[in-house]
Formats: sequence, structure tokens, C-alpha cells
Amino acid sequence: MRKRTLKRCLTAFWWITLVFLYLPLAVVVLFSFNASNSAASMTGLSLRWYHQLLGNEQIMAAFGNTLVLAICSSVIALVIGCLIGYGMYRHRHRKLGWLIVLIYLPIVLPDIVFGISEMAFFVQFHRLTGLLQPGLGTMVIAHVTFQIPFVALIVYSRFVGLDPTLFEAAKDLYATPVKRVVHFMLPTIKPALISAFFLSFTLSVDDFVISFFTAGPESATLPIYIWGAIKKGVSPEINAIATLMIGAVAIAAAISLLFSRKNQHSRKRQS
Amino acid sequence: MSTNNIAVMGRSQGMVREARHLLFTVAPGALWIVIFLVLPSLYLMAVAFMSNGPYGLPQMPLSLNSFKQLAGVGFLGWSPGNLYTLLRSLWQTLVATGLVVLVAYPLAYYITICRAKWRPIMLLLVVVPSWTNQVIRTFGWMNLLAPGTPLSNAAEVLGFIPPNMGLYPSNFAVTLGLVYNFLPFMVLPLYAAFEKLDTAQVEAAQDLYARPARAFWHAVFPQTLPGLLAGIVLVAIPAFGMYVIPELLGGGKAMMLGNLVATQFSGGSNWPLGAAGAILMLIATFIGLFAMRRIGKRLGGGEEVVI
Amino acid sequence: MSKHTKTAAAVAFCSLLLGTGAQAAEEKLYLFNWTEYMDPEIITAFEQKYDVEVVQNYYNSLPEMFAKLNAGGASQYDIIVPSNYYVPRLIETGLVQKLDHAKIPNLANVKEQFKDPSFDPGSAYSAPYQWGTTGMVYNTDTFPDAPNSWSLMFDPKVNPDYPFAIMGDGQVAIGAACGALGKPYDCNTLDSWREAAKLMIETKSRDNFSGFTDGTPALQQLARGVTHVGMSYNGDYLYFKGEDPKAFEHLAFAIPDEGAEMWVDSMMIPSGAPHPDLAHKFIDFILDAKIGAQLSNYNYYASPNAAAEPYLDEALKQPPAQPTEEEMKRLRFTPSLEGEQLQTFQQLWSEVQAR
Repeated sequence: MRKRTLKRCLTAFWWITLVFLYLPLAVVVLFSFNASNSAASMTGLSLRWYHQLLGNEQIMAAFGNTLVLAICSSVIALVIGCLIGYGMYRHRHRKLGWLIVLIYLPIVLPDIVFGISEMAFFVQFHRLTGLLQPGLGTMVIAHVTFQIPFVALIVYSRFVGLDPTLFEAAKDLYATPVKRVVHFMLPTIKPALISAFFLSFTLSVDDFVISFFTAGPESATLPIYIWGAIKKGVSPEINAIATLMIGAVAIAAAISLLFSRKNQHSRKRQS
Repeated sequence: MSTNNIAVMGRSQGMVREARHLLFTVAPGALWIVIFLVLPSLYLMAVAFMSNGPYGLPQMPLSLNSFKQLAGVGFLGWSPGNLYTLLRSLWQTLVATGLVVLVAYPLAYYITICRAKWRPIMLLLVVVPSWTNQVIRTFGWMNLLAPGTPLSNAAEVLGFIPPNMGLYPSNFAVTLGLVYNFLPFMVLPLYAAFEKLDTAQVEAAQDLYARPARAFWHAVFPQTLPGLLAGIVLVAIPAFGMYVIPELLGGGKAMMLGNLVATQFSGGSNWPLGAAGAILMLIATFIGLFAMRRIGKRLGGGEEVVI
Repeated sequence: MSKHTKTAAAVAFCSLLLGTGAQAAEEKLYLFNWTEYMDPEIITAFEQKYDVEVVQNYYNSLPEMFAKLNAGGASQYDIIVPSNYYVPRLIETGLVQKLDHAKIPNLANVKEQFKDPSFDPGSAYSAPYQWGTTGMVYNTDTFPDAPNSWSLMFDPKVNPDYPFAIMGDGQVAIGAACGALGKPYDCNTLDSWREAAKLMIETKSRDNFSGFTDGTPALQQLARGVTHVGMSYNGDYLYFKGEDPKAFEHLAFAIPDEGAEMWVDSMMIPSGAPHPDLAHKFIDFILDAKIGAQLSNYNYYASPNAAAEPYLDEALKQPPAQPTEEEMKRLRFTPSLEGEQLQTFQQLWSEVQAR
């Protein structure tokens, strides 16, 4: 009896928390369709803010920058992180404490310290050498830096989860290391690679602070644009961009759900 | 003798190859992090020991002035502003982390007692909001808490806030924003801990202690402690250095250490002071990590406790 | 690497290459300006005349602009538009370069009083863009008989419970606080600063202080009823009033009796500007009589351009765009701070913010 009331309370609590979690997002979505420029009341439905978006070159440029940044950085991070992940696995019996510390560093460093030290460094470096002018290039560098650890850890944990005898078998099957990599290793860790890529991509799109401090005049991303717009005090348009970004996240969530379902099913079938 | 030699040679060759392999796989990433993160951080630390130029840029000679300023000692004698900001950051972190624990704990437990089929979806529902950009999430709260919105009006009627004001900007809004932002970070590790719960032990405790509260305290709580600690690390460290939320929801009343550091750079006033603040943040971060690790080890969780 | 990531990489690199390729094809002018401060049609006209592209970036406050220039912007922007009191500090730090007057014949159009400003003798580094005032904007419904005084913000007896915002730029905010204390707006002695900072800290702790807000967003807050008093610029006030007359019906712009800021925004060329020649052409273009008038007619700020006078709209010849004789006597430049004095001020302001 008591157990049931507890469960009922918990169920109620669950729904309240869900409202808490989705209310701010729902408000943004709702007001993006508001006919008037008011944050307090809905005066009717309209798509005028979305029309304004399409005509706004800056937003379109910011959208392009966001994509280019996320794709470039994720690809580079995937290659480098994958190598580290494999190295960590293959040499896991050695003392690699320093490497672990190095890999955790980008994760534990507060964003603001991360962003500011990169900015100060790039500025000074640019002053001395003329290279690394703040812009998309420096942003890609910064993003790769915080993506590498996540890729490495995902790839590493995938390798750890594999049966070690598989590696021996692969050695017998394929003569050269290159063939082993192409025909055995990459296919086996493919799920890890895909999830690492998506995680890197999400991390990049989600980042504001580090991008903000490493950006140049022409490399504003959507979050930076939104930040500027909030600071400037223009809001209905922000609702519209934000809604599109929320929509993208919702789609990503649905895809990841499908993926995990599929994986569960295939795992069940295997066993 | 000769075969022995060959074996030794073979082994050393193998070792060379292994070392080369290690170098080839690990070096690019390690170098990347060293060049693009360790060096910049070291440079930033060096900046903290330089003196402030007339227009906010670091210059020679070396000095400890920035640390003095951080402690509040300036041209004007001692003033407590920075100390207030530091205390406010600590307080906000403490309150937000506490609230996050209070919300996440029952939530994680509830998810574990639901049917296995639903659990991944429930976890996803908790996590998805954190996939949207931090600036957007915070902007959502700005919309919700502004003056004249239903929430603000309700708070006004109940007498929580003075008339005509909104719930934002305020310290309260910042706390709320922090809790919202970090809730998923706590739910996930707690859920993992609950999932591993040894039910036999719990049942034994239920038999042993009459009151469920005691059973909980002796059987359930210790088992979830590693997850709780991991969650605290994941929440408290980034919360302490938070920049976006106080900036947008605090309205200049609720400056935290992250903002103090950032304004020294983005307000163009004092790089060395900002760098000194960053060092303070780093120290706090590492103390936090170290303490959690120690406690975690004592509890027997070992390495996996930290993240 | 999977096929997808391969294509993704290819796409990414192509777009990066394309990005740089396009850059080389057409010359660009990088304009770093205040928000809402430029007529898009003027930009189009300039682009057509010289067959270039203008890339605009914006700032909301001078500290923000200065920080960006320090952080590498000095070699990325071609034109910046700082206010008078930041001009000496930009020159001193070497972030800007001298103007080549031979390339700017239209400098002759500038009014006598702006030709040899105190902040930049002989206009060696700067050419005037617009000038205006920073005053107080308040809601006339809330305050039907408001005193024409900064006390509407700083005195809890005058405004006990309506939310107000103060400007985020420390020097302007402290100037207003000095005014509220009965000192001149351009106070710059340590003692008056101290008193003003004390008042700021007390004001900050009041329940109805809603935060530090820059000039342009302050108007949005006022229009939405989030705040009832704030600080903003005369031209922005008129501009947004024109955009949304209904929301601004109950908002008034005032130059408080204690005095307020008058500023001159000037065009300058950063020391490492990538296209200095084009930047000179741009300055000359803006100083053209008709373009100058078009600019003022667009954003409602008074023009420092004598030749533009005949083309100006009627609204620009009356207050608040053109302050009255009597108001002019109360207006002051924000003092340009240098060296030790600047550092002292920064510390004081940092203290106000951190409290």
C-alpha cells in the first residue's frame, strides 16, 4: 500500500520534472509563431519571423559557419581521437597515466578558462607570426581540442568490449596491417565511430563559450548570432532560429532512439 | 648463446616497433592537446604574473599585482567586491548542486523502477533538452521569467517579488537556470548506480530495520554514492565556472567568477587580473576533482567514480 | 573511414576552399560598427560604386569594441566607429592608423566645430560620423510628473518600486551617478568617483534595479515594459519610435538638469586594416553631402557634416535630435582617461560590477 503511494508520488514528480525540462523550449517554439513582437502574450499565429529569417544574410551565413565548423572539426577529431583510442587500447598495459590526464584535461577545464586561454594564445601567436588569425580556422582547432577526448574514450571503450582473440584471428586472416585496419578494425568499431562523430557534431553545435572567444569577424555561428541578438534586445527572430535548432535536436533524438532500438534488436538476435 | 641473442634482438626490435606504434597512434592527439590547450593554459598562467598595461594588456615586468587585485587590494585600498563574487559563485554552486541532487535522486530511482522497455526513452527525454544550445535554453527561461509573464505575476501575487519586477533578472533566476542546465548530468550517473543496486541487500535491510528511512539510509544510499559523487563532479565543476547563465539571467546583480574573469578580457580592462581569476578557477576545479577521487577511492569505487 | 564521413570531409574541405576562393575574387570592406547605426541602402550604394562587398559586424558598447580590437581585431577590420573618449586610448595603444587626408577630400564638408576636436587634434586619426546625446528615457504613464533628473533612477524616494536599468558602460554610468549627486556629468576626480561608485553599489542592491543594459537594448526593454526608466541615445530613441510608434507613445527622452553626455562617433582605421585604401574611400563616401544627410535621416542622429545641412529632414533640426541651446550648456563630453587614471577607474568599476 505504502509502496503504491510512493510510486504514485514519483510518477507525479516525473511529469512535473518533464514540464520543467520542456517548458522553456516550448515557450520558445510557441512564441516563434507569435504574430506580434511581445514576450508576454500570444496575439495570433504567423510565420513572419521565419520569413524574416530567410531574408537575413547574416543568419544564413551563421548557419553555414555552424555546419562547416561542426563537420570539419568532427572529421579531424574523429581521425585523431580514433588513433588515440586505439593506441590507448593496444598499450593499455603500459603506464599511460600522463596520457589519461592529458585526455581528461579538455573535459575538466572550465569552458571559460578553455576559451580565454585559447583566445589569448591565438592573439599572441598571431601577433608574433601572422598565422592563426581568429576565424573559422581557430574555431576548428579549439573544437577539435575538446572533441578528441570524447572520440578517444568512445573508441577505446569499444575496443575494450571486444574479444581479444578477435585480434589474433584478424592477424591470421589479413597479412598486412593496412588490410587489417580496412577489413577488420574499421568495420568492427563502426558503431563507435558513428556515435563518436555524432557526439562530436552535437558538442560543436552546442558550444557557445569557446566559439565566442575564438571567433573572428566573419565566423559567427548560430549560437554567437543568437547571443548577439539577445544582447541587442531583438527577440522574435531569435525564437524562430532557436525553434529550428530545437527541431534539429528533436530529429537527432528520434534517430538515436531508432538506432538504439535497432542495436538492441540485433543484439538480442545474436544471443 | 646465439639463439638467445636473436631472441633479445627480436624482443628489442618488437619493443621498438611497439614504441613506434604507440608514438604513431598517440602522438598526433597528444601533441594537439599539448599545443592547443596545455601551451595556451600555461601562457594564460604566465599572463597572471605579468603586470597590467595601461590599456588592459599584459606587459613586463613580472608582478603579483593581479593576485593582490583579485584579493581586493587595489589603488583604493581593500574592497570586498571580488570576495563577494567568489562567495556568490560558491554559494550558487552549492545551492544548485544540492537542488539538482534533490530532483535527480527520485527521478533516477523512478526510471529504474519503470518497465525496462521505457527506460531508454525516459533517459532520452531527460537528456534531450541539454542537447539544445545553452544560449537557447537560457533564452527560454528569460522568456518565461520576464516581468508580466504568468510565472512572474504568480510570484508577485504570492509576494515573492516586489511589484512590477520579474523573476528575472535575479539570483533566483540564475539558480534556476543552473539547476535546469545540469539536471541531466546528475540523473545519468545516478541512474547507472540505481541500475546496479543489489536488491538482495536492500531486502535484507528492509527486514532488519523497521523504518523504510533507515533501510534506505543503510542499504540503498551507500550503494548509490559512487554515482552521486560522479554527478556532483559533473555538476559542481562546470557550475562554478558558469558564464552564460549569470550573464543572461543575472542582469549584473549575480556576477559569478566566470563573468568576473570574462569581463577582464571582453571588457578590455585587465588581462592579468582575468588570468589570475582563471588560475583560481583551475585550483578550485582540481581540488574538487582530487577530493572526489579520494572519497571515491575510500568508498571502494576506484577509478570509475570520476567520470 | 566510412563512406559517409568521407563525403562529409570532402564537402567540408570544398566549402572551406570555396570560402577562401570567394574571398580572393572580390575585395571586401570589414565595417565594425554600433548596432542599428547604418542605413543598408548606403551600404548597397557603396558596394555598387566600388564593386566591393561590405561585411558588417556590430558591437553594443565601446568596451566590447576595444576588447575585440585588442584580441586581434585590429588586423581584421577596416573601419571602426568609436566615440570621442575612446579615441585617445586607441591612438595611444597603436590600434589605429593615421588618416591620409589627401584621400578624403570630403573632409572639407565637416563642420568647423568638429574639424579640430579636443580628443584628436587636427583630426589626424579620425573623421566624424554622427554626434548625439545619451539621456534618460522613461515611461510617462508610470511617471506622469517625473522630475527632469537622474534621481528617477538613483533616488529610492523618487522611484521606490519601478524597475530601471543603467548603462553598462562604466564611464557613462558613473557620469550619471555623479549627476545624481549634484556633481558635473564629466566628474573625474577620485573623490567624486568614489562617492558615485558608492551610490552605484547602493543602487545596485535595490530591488527594482533590473541590471546593466547597453543603450540600444535598453530601448527594447522600455518598449516591452520590462523597465520603466533607462539610459539610451537620442537617435536610437527616435529611430525606434519611428519603427513602432505605439510602443513608444508613452516613452519620453530627457536630458536631465544635472547634465548628460554628448558624444561624437568617429570613423577610424585600425592599424592592421586589411584594406586601408578602401577604408579611406568609405570615409570619403560617408562624408559626402548627400550620403551624410541620408545617414542622419535614416538613424536620426545630428550630422557633423555642414554640406549635408540642406538635405536634412525637419526632425533632425529639433530636439531631441538637435538639443536646444539651453540643453547644450548642460551637455559634456565623457572624459578621456589615460594611464594610471584609467586603471584606477577600471578597478573602481570592476568593484561596482563584482559587488
